[in-house]
Amino acid sequence: MTTTADDTLAYLDSRPGPGEPRAYHFPRFSRSRLSNGVELITADLPGRPLLVGHLLLGGAGAGVTGEPAALAGATVLAARAMTEGTQRRDALALIEASERLGAEISADAGWDSLAVSVEVPRSRLEPALTLLAEVALEPSFPADEVERLRDERLNDLLQARAEPRRRVERAFAETVYAADAAYRRPAGGSELTVPALDRDVLAARHAAILRPSGATLIVAGDLTGIDVRALAERGFGGWQEPTAAAESGIGDSDAAAGGPGRVVVVHRPGSPQSELRIGHVGTPRRTPDFHAVSVLNAVLGGLFGSRLNALLREEKGYTYGVHSSFDMRVGAGPFGVRTAVQTEFTVPAIVDTLAELRRIRETPAEDEELAIARDYLVGVFPLRYESSGQVAGAIAGLVAHGLPDDELDRYRPAVAAVTPDQVLEAAQRHIRPDEASVVVVGDADAFLPALEAAGVGAVEVVREEAPEPEG
Amino acid sequence: MSQPSDRGPDLPNVRFERRRLDNGLRVIVAPDHLAPIVAINLWYDVGSRHEVPGKTGFAHLFEHFMFQGSRHVSKAEHMSLIQGAGGVNNATTFFDRTNYFETMPSHQLELGLWLEADRMATLLDALSQENLDNQRDVVKNEKRQSYDNRPYGSFYEKLMAAVFPADHPYHHTPIGSMADLDAASLEDVIAFFQAWYAPNNAVLTIAGDVDPEEGFAAAERLFGPIAANPDLGRAWPPAISPVMGAEHREVVPDAVPLVRVHFGYRVPAFGTDEYDALEVATQILAGGRGSRLYRRLVREERVAQDVAAFVLPLVGGASILAGWVTARPESDAETVERMWHEETDRLASEPVSEDELARARALIESAELGALARVEEVADRLSQATTYFDRPELVNEQLDRYLAVDAPRIQAAAAAVFRPDNRAVITYVPAAPTTDEDADADADAAATDSDEEAAA
Repeated sequence: MTTTADDTLAYLDSRPGPGEPRAYHFPRFSRSRLSNGVELITADLPGRPLLVGHLLLGGAGAGVTGEPAALAGATVLAARAMTEGTQRRDALALIEASERLGAEISADAGWDSLAVSVEVPRSRLEPALTLLAEVALEPSFPADEVERLRDERLNDLLQARAEPRRRVERAFAETVYAADAAYRRPAGGSELTVPALDRDVLAARHAAILRPSGATLIVAGDLTGIDVRALAERGFGGWQEPTAAAESGIGDSDAAAGGPGRVVVVHRPGSPQSELRIGHVGTPRRTPDFHAVSVLNAVLGGLFGSRLNALLREEKGYTYGVHSSFDMRVGAGPFGVRTAVQTEFTVPAIVDTLAELRRIRETPAEDEELAIARDYLVGVFPLRYESSGQVAGAIAGLVAHGLPDDELDRYRPAVAAVTPDQVLEAAQRHIRPDEASVVVVGDADAFLPALEAAGVGAVEVVREEAPEPEG
Repeated sequence: MSQPSDRGPDLPNVRFERRRLDNGLRVIVAPDHLAPIVAINLWYDVGSRHEVPGKTGFAHLFEHFMFQGSRHVSKAEHMSLIQGAGGVNNATTFFDRTNYFETMPSHQLELGLWLEADRMATLLDALSQENLDNQRDVVKNEKRQSYDNRPYGSFYEKLMAAVFPADHPYHHTPIGSMADLDAASLEDVIAFFQAWYAPNNAVLTIAGDVDPEEGFAAAERLFGPIAANPDLGRAWPPAISPVMGAEHREVVPDAVPLVRVHFGYRVPAFGTDEYDALEVATQILAGGRGSRLYRRLVREERVAQDVAAFVLPLVGGASILAGWVTARPESDAETVERMWHEETDRLASEPVSEDELARARALIESAELGALARVEEVADRLSQATTYFDRPELVNEQLDRYLAVDAPRIQAAAAAVFRPDNRAVITYVPAAPTTDEDADADADAAATDSDEEAAA
C-alpha cells in the first residue's frame, strides 16, 4: 500500500507564486511607402510560415458608414463580390488559382474600412500578392454573380430572423440607435435595401473607396529572406490615384445617434430560453479613458468571475454565461450585456442586470476584483498576437483608428496603472442604466405580466408572423 | 528532442520531448519562445463514450465540477486564479476524451500546473450537493442555448442516434439526457471521478515559452506524488459493423425558414488510412468555394444557400462523415438531396482530377500551418496524438498523411462509405411555431414515420 493521500499530497498545501515575468513587446513592425503612396507595413514573425497580406482601404467613408441609407449593404456586398471575378479571370478561374496556392483570399467591409486579405504559405507569397492586387484593383463585378450574392444575402436575412441570437442583435441595434443612424442598420443591408443592389451600384461603391492615398498593405509572418517591398511594388506600384476628387466620405446620417431607452420583447412562442440584450450607445475607440473602460468592462462582465457572471451563472444558475462589452468603432458603437437565460428567469435576470449596472456606478471596485481585471488584461494581451493573421489584424486596427505606432506597447503599462477612482469615473460616464434599453427575444406569454410589473419601463411587444411553410 | 529532418520551411516542424512519470502520467514538452506564454493541456482518456446507459451526460457534467474547487481551491476560485494570473482557460467534453487547458504568461506556469494537479488529486474534497444542483442548472442552460433554442439545433443528436446503434456509446452525444442528469447523485459523481481521473489515464502537454527540463521538473514536482489508480475504469465500445445496414430517413418540422437536409454516414475511425482519404474527400466535396458541391449547388445550379461536409475524429471502432445542404426558398429537399447523392456517387465511381487533388492538398497544408501557429492548438494536438495513439510525432506527420492520399484511395474510401444502406438523411422543414407540447408531438410523429421508412 502507498502512504495516505494526505501525507503524500502535503506539497499541494502551498500555492506556487509567479516566477520572474519575462519581457514582452508587441511584434516589431516597420513602415515605408511604395512609389505611388501606398503605405507598406511589415511585421517579421520567425516560425510563422503561414503569411498574411492585408490590404486596408481606409480614409473617411471607406466603410459601411460611408454609404447612403438607401443603399445600405452596398459596401459589404461590394467587398464580397470582389472575389467573384476580375478583368483577367472569371470567378471560377480566380478561385481555382488561389486554391492552387493554398491561399484564402477574402474581402470584408467593416463600419470604417474595407480590407482584402490573403493567407498563404511563405513559399507562395509572390503569386498570392499578385492575386490580391488583382482582386483589389480590378474586380469586374459580373452581374450574374452579383445577383447570386444578393439572393444569398436575402436568404441569410431570413435565416437571421429565425436564429434567436441573430434576431436579438438586430433588434438591439434597432432599439438603441436613432432611426437615421448608420449603426442602427444591419451592416449587410436589410430586406428593403438589398434588392436594389446591382453590379453598377457595387462597382461605383468600389471605385469610391479605392484610392492608393488611403491604402495600407500589411504583410506579417516569417519574412526571412523575402524582399516584401519589391513584391509589393510589383503588385501594387502601378496603381494610380483616380483623377476624380474623393467623395466627402460621409454617409447621409450621424452613424451613432442614440434614441431613448425602451423595453422591447420580440415574441417567439415556445422559446426555452430568452435571449437578452441590455445596453445603450457606448463610446468611440478613441475615448481618452480607453484603458479605464477596458478594466471597467472586465470587472462588470468581461471575466468569468465578473460581477454579472458570478451572479447570474454561478450563484443563480439562470444562464450558461453572461458577458458585457463596449463595441468600439470610429463612432460610438453599442455597450451591451448579452446573455441567454432560462425563460422562467427572464425578469429576475433583467432586474439583476440593471441592479449591477447601477451598483458599479455607486461604489469603487474592490481592490481584489480590480487587481484580477488588470492582471487579466495585461496577461492575456500577448496571447492575442501569436499568428500572422492576429498580428496583421491588430496593426490594421491601429491604422483604421488613426492610433500611434506605440499604442499596443503602451497598452499593458496603461492598464496596470488604472485606479479604482478611474474605473468609477468611467462607469459614471459610460454606463447609464436609466437610459438603457432592454431587448428580449423569447416567449412573451411566459413573462409579460411580470416584466410589466417589474418597473423597468413600458413594454413594447413585437409579434411577428410565423415563418410560412413552403408552398 | 524529436526534430524531423530535412523538412522544408513551410512544413510543420513542432519540436517536443516526452517522458512518462512513475505514476503513469505521460508528459510532453514543446518549446516555442516566440512570445512569453505557455499552454498547459491535459487530456483525460474519458468522454461520453465511457458512459453507461442511464447515466449519459455525466462526463460533461463532471467537467463542470472540475471548476467548482478542490482541496486548496474554493468554489469559482479556479477561474479567478487563472484569469487573475493573466491566463485564459476552458475545457471540453467529446465522445472519446475530456480536455482541460489554460494558456498563461510563462512565469505563471507553476500556478497553472498546481491548479491542474490539485483537482486531479483532491477534487472530491470539494464536492457538495449545492455544487451539483447549481452546475446541473448551468448545463441545462448550455443545452437550451446550444441545441434547443437554435434552428436545426437537434441535428447533431439525431445524426449520431441514426448512424450508431442504440447499444453503441456514440449513439448519444456528450450533452446527454437531461433526465439522466436529473437522476445524478453525488455518489455517481464520486464514482465517475474514481473510475477515470488519475495520472495513468491522462496526458499532460506543456507548449510555448518553456525549456524541456524546466517543464519536466515542474510536472514531476506537482504531479509525481499523485497516486496511480491501479483499477481504472474500462469501456470498450462494442464491435460495430462498418456500415449501417439500412438507410435511415427522418423529417423534422422546426422553426426554420429554409429547408436543410442533413446527411450522416458510418466511416472508419480516425487514425486509419481510409479516414485520411475521407478527410481529403470532404475537402474536395465541400471544403472551399472551388469544391464540387459548392460549385454546383450554390454557384451554378443555385439551389443551395450553403453546403458542408466533414469527418469527426472519433477513435472508438468507427466514426461519422456528416454534411448538409441548405436549400434556397425556390428549391426543395428532393432536388438538393438528389444532387448531393449524385456528387457523392461521382466520388465513388470515378477518380478525382489531379488539379482537384492538388488544390485540396494546398488548402489542407495552409490550414495545418495556420492551426500550428498557436501554442494552444499545438498542445492540444500533441495531447490528442498521445492519448489516442501514443504517438505525439503525429503532430508533424498528420499533414504528410493527408498529402499522401491519392485519387485511387479517395475513390475506394468513397465507394465503401457512400452507399444507400449506410446513410442517414434528416430533413428539416419549416413549421409554424408551436407550443412545447406540440413540438414534442411533432418530433415523435416524425420519428415514427422514419422508423417505418427505415424498416421498409
